[in-house]
Amino acid sequence: MPAVSVSHLAKSYGDVDAVKDVTFEVEKGEVFALLGPNGAGKTTTIEILEGFRDRSGGAVQTLGVDPSNRATQRWLRTRIGVVLQELAVEPFYSVRQVLTRNAGYYPSPRPVDEVIELIGLKEKADQRVKRLSGGQQRRLDVGLGIIGNPELLFLDEPTTGLDPSGRRASWDLIRQLAASGTTVLLTTHYMDEVEALADKVAVLFRAEIVASGTPTSIGGRDSGTVTIQFSLPEGVSVSDVPVPAPRVVDGIVRTSTDDELRVLHELTGWAIDHGHVLPGLAVTRVSLEDIYLNLTRAEQ
Amino acid sequence: MRATATTPMSGSFQGVNDLKLIGRQVRYEQLSFWLNPIGAILTIGFSTVFLLIFESTAGKSTVKALGGIKLIQYYVPGFVAYGIMSSCFSILSITIVNRREMGLLKRLRLSPAPTWILMSAVFINTMILCVIQIVLMLAVGRAFGVHGPANWVPFLLALVVGIFGFTALGMGVSTLVPNADAAGPVVNIVFFVVLAFSGLYYPITPGSTLANITDYLPVRRLIVSLQDSFNYIPGTSPWAWHNLGVIAIWGAGGVFLTLRRWQWAPRRG
Repeated sequence: MPAVSVSHLAKSYGDVDAVKDVTFEVEKGEVFALLGPNGAGKTTTIEILEGFRDRSGGAVQTLGVDPSNRATQRWLRTRIGVVLQELAVEPFYSVRQVLTRNAGYYPSPRPVDEVIELIGLKEKADQRVKRLSGGQQRRLDVGLGIIGNPELLFLDEPTTGLDPSGRRASWDLIRQLAASGTTVLLTTHYMDEVEALADKVAVLFRAEIVASGTPTSIGGRDSGTVTIQFSLPEGVSVSDVPVPAPRVVDGIVRTSTDDELRVLHELTGWAIDHGHVLPGLAVTRVSLEDIYLNLTRAEQ
Repeated sequence: MRATATTPMSGSFQGVNDLKLIGRQVRYEQLSFWLNPIGAILTIGFSTVFLLIFESTAGKSTVKALGGIKLIQYYVPGFVAYGIMSSCFSILSITIVNRREMGLLKRLRLSPAPTWILMSAVFINTMILCVIQIVLMLAVGRAFGVHGPANWVPFLLALVVGIFGFTALGMGVSTLVPNADAAGPVVNIVFFVVLAFSGLYYPITPGSTLANITDYLPVRRLIVSLQDSFNYIPGTSPWAWHNLGVIAIWGAGGVFLTLRRWQWAPRRG
């Protein structure tokens, strides 16, 4: 049984579709990313999965139960953790107080000190929330999400507003959670976050899923055109280089091909035969960002 | 690795007792209030300071319409009403709006703690603050030689109806305030303007135009209910059913608004 199963999910507000015909599954232990621009429907989707918002149509199962079913909602909420898109922590409590309070809502929470250690706030445990930096408050927010020892963790843009080191620390924490068996469903609009963390990704754009797959294969990324580039050797004319349709800009030769193995073979064979080195030789596959921009641009 | 999910169940779950959870939640509500000592002292102490100022200016003035009682004797039940309205209406509605807009209500909603426990804790906390203010008012009054209440049972009944009525109204009004910035100004302007015309600061002659208008408002009805039971006026009844009825109707309006418009997520209006 998957941790999350979504089939033809729809949510509308009057005539406006917030989400339409969304279908995907998240397997247990997986890190699944919902990628999309602001207003694409990411938050609405996870709010429905959390049972916070009712859906207009389709079928949804979170940990095997319908999250809108009031009879099992409390059971479900003991098994999920939620990190909201925006900070939501009382300013006057200390870090320890707010975590201890929330731990009391769960039947088998993680030890408070363990969570404080995990989120890297050991030195700030007795400090008031209002005295923490924005990044530290965000980490506390994540701590509140995991205090109940969840099987499934929803992270709504967990690293928005964090500095690079804060982002890396959050990624490490998410990796640790995933390694211990926690299923993670995160929303983001950072491509590097998806590549660093996600086992699977779905691109949500204008309320619909426009592509899904692994970060390395989504949108045909693993089988599409690659770019080969290198600096033109001294005394060599570009017409002598055995690559198809070369383009030269500032002495850098670039060529695009679907048959990179053959082109590379011919290029490197030619270079060895003629005693040339090929400075800066690189093979670049289309980036996730390119795929994402293509997917979302094509829809505009 | 954690244990995997067992069969879904409804109601309570092992390990978390609902009643203990209410007590715990009330403790954290109180902690949250007192952890901001300046805010707490100003909130609680404002009515006391207000009463002391009025007492110092009242001198030996009396209220003829109430059988010639001293002005301070008139002020004490009025400021008890003020304490109720301040805690249950003003502070509660502003707190709710701020929590909603900060996302705190949404976070609590997403926790396994049932809504009724969370809201009960908020109400109990409000009542504690309210009782503190009432006791302070009565103590200050006693220090200045004020005697009363003359009729305890109607007085306590008016307190209970006032607490529930204004709590419901405070919840209802919180749903009308679009954002945290507007909460303080909107609630306090309405609150103090209505107070000014409802007989808190000076006696209003029954049957006057002002009395006829403010008689429709719960503020005046609560002040009058507490006055009637606190100060014994020969020939009058301490039981103010019609006054309590008006407060209850406004409270029902608050419940209606709350049920229709309540939102856990920030409105950001």
